[in-house]
Amino acid sequence: MNRFRDALGFLAIAAILLLISVLLILAVGSDVTKAFSSFLRGIFGSFYGFSEVLVRATPLILAGLGVAVGFRTGFVNIGAEGQIYLGAIAITVLGLAAPGLPPVLMVGLAILLGFVFGGIWSVVPGILKARFGISEVINTIMLNYIALNLVGVLVRTWLKDPSYPYPMSPMLPAAASYPELLSPTRLHAGFLVALAAAVAVYVLVFRTPTGFEMRAVGLNSRACHCAGIPVYKNIVLSAFISGGLAGIAGVGEIAGLHHRLIEGISPGYGYIAIIVSLLGQNHPLGVVVAALGVSALHVGSLSMQRAAGVPTSIASIIMGTLVVLILARKSLFGSTVKLVREN
Amino acid sequence: MDVPLIATLTTFLAATIRMATPLTLAGLGETISEKSGVINIGVEAIMLSGAFFSFLTVFATGNHFLGLLAGMAGGAAVSMVHAVVSLRCKANQTIVGLALNFLILGLTSFLFLKSFGQTTILPSIAVIKPIQIPILSRIPILGQALFHQDIFVYLAIALVIGLSVFFYKTEWGVSLHAVGEHPRAADTAGLQVDTIRYLACLANGLLGGMGGAYLVLVKLGFFMENLTAGKGYIALVTVILGRRNPWGVMGAALVVGAAEALQIRLQTMGIPIPSQVFSMFPYVVTIVVLLFSIGKSSDPSALGVPYERDKR
Repeated sequence: MNRFRDALGFLAIAAILLLISVLLILAVGSDVTKAFSSFLRGIFGSFYGFSEVLVRATPLILAGLGVAVGFRTGFVNIGAEGQIYLGAIAITVLGLAAPGLPPVLMVGLAILLGFVFGGIWSVVPGILKARFGISEVINTIMLNYIALNLVGVLVRTWLKDPSYPYPMSPMLPAAASYPELLSPTRLHAGFLVALAAAVAVYVLVFRTPTGFEMRAVGLNSRACHCAGIPVYKNIVLSAFISGGLAGIAGVGEIAGLHHRLIEGISPGYGYIAIIVSLLGQNHPLGVVVAALGVSALHVGSLSMQRAAGVPTSIASIIMGTLVVLILARKSLFGSTVKLVREN
Repeated sequence: MDVPLIATLTTFLAATIRMATPLTLAGLGETISEKSGVINIGVEAIMLSGAFFSFLTVFATGNHFLGLLAGMAGGAAVSMVHAVVSLRCKANQTIVGLALNFLILGLTSFLFLKSFGQTTILPSIAVIKPIQIPILSRIPILGQALFHQDIFVYLAIALVIGLSVFFYKTEWGVSLHAVGEHPRAADTAGLQVDTIRYLACLANGLLGGMGGAYLVLVKLGFFMENLTAGKGYIALVTVILGRRNPWGVMGAALVVGAAEALQIRLQTMGIPIPSQVFSMFPYVVTIVVLLFSIGKSSDPSALGVPYERDKR
């Protein structure tokens, strides 16, 4: 019965979103069928379009997994955006400092270094939260801005390519690239890295004692404290892994797409990752599906803008409304979740 | 002192205050909200909505006062959605705020494109002129910076004074703090926890909307996609740096404003330090201040926690 009502709630949300889309499309004087068909054609209509969905989903999966791991212990990581940039800095520094490394070693080290850089960026607010009870929300936001500006400084000073007047680093050696998967498209091995990370996170969270402790801490940290589960250690560890995964997302954007450090490699992936994690209910499989869905929404809306003249900002509207409705659905469509929890 | 230096200093101070004003307004709003126990990281959405609706109204009517009201209403609409979803539906307040940031960014861009189309020349409105206060404005350096400003600057200062009285000298202020620190005790003492929180959220929306309206009505005179560009997040930082004290919030906003003003000045002077060094400065300062004030947490105990009367 509860399942039925849950399903009904989600159907209602889907119907509301569809209605809003139709109203928005009509508001700009466009044709609804044409808009929807161009939306779908943008995603499924061509090989390239579909590969773009996977390309954009790659950083969302990784950063989304990171946010989800943090959520498991109650660490609300709004800082994935900054951690992505730290990962990008990591691979750039490595590639420029040791250009002679063989490809396998280079990529492996880059992923490791990106994980550590991103992890450090997130472990600081993690320690502040676990040790001193300082809210991580604002700290992680502040670290986003510091990271963003740090990249701005680096590409104008120490990491600047002296032969160009633009703020960007020199090209990284070819060894610091992910292999391309389907040559004319932009799809790169980073997507496989993201899927592997999803499996690793699943094993960690659901198949190891550490994962069990993390989930327990997130559900009731006081009970854990009394039962002898180290709360501090688990929050700090999950914060580190959380930032580390976002760091790998940053490594992937450089190794797979840009091949040099530039500003603006992430159009808000770190913030969208939080929504991805929420939609995926902090479960690795859910995160992968949600990341693909959000990415498809963006790719489809680009095509809708080209073909039917509907502004791409419709994607943001739908995404934001979806999250608000999902959060509010307990009250809107009967409180089934609450009943389940109480039983 | 030589004349150019004085002139530079005056314009620098004046620019600092102009940059700080919208942050002060939005920061004060968020302070009220957080004191009641509701953290809303959707200040960005509140400001953007305020900016958009004030622009639209002034563009249609030419009346700046109506524009201000529309901006405040636009901000309040966003904060009330946040309040309902987080207080009534007891959702995670941080995520709701974040989602609203996306929703309003999309909505304002969409409506703006729909109303004005793709234009290369942005539609613009007349901006509100500064008011010259006689005699005081003739004090060297400070006079022009402090007493030749627009009405919002004076309003922000009045609000800082008013709120510091409200928070610490009135019974309402005590109630507000009680609801944020210990809602159960407040409830037992007969305070209406959720009503007070709704009112605090409303105040947040009105002030944040005013901050957004300021950007359009005074500073820019036009609207564009993502006009606020992170100012709402900066306002959140001023709340932390200012330790939720009205004077502190204004001080923090001035630090951020000074860093921004300095950055623009140095850029035009062609100094070879990347401007990002200065943009980073307020955040680094805030983190350092946080590290030094460790152990004296000033967060309201019930910040971000919905109050459930029938639960233990």
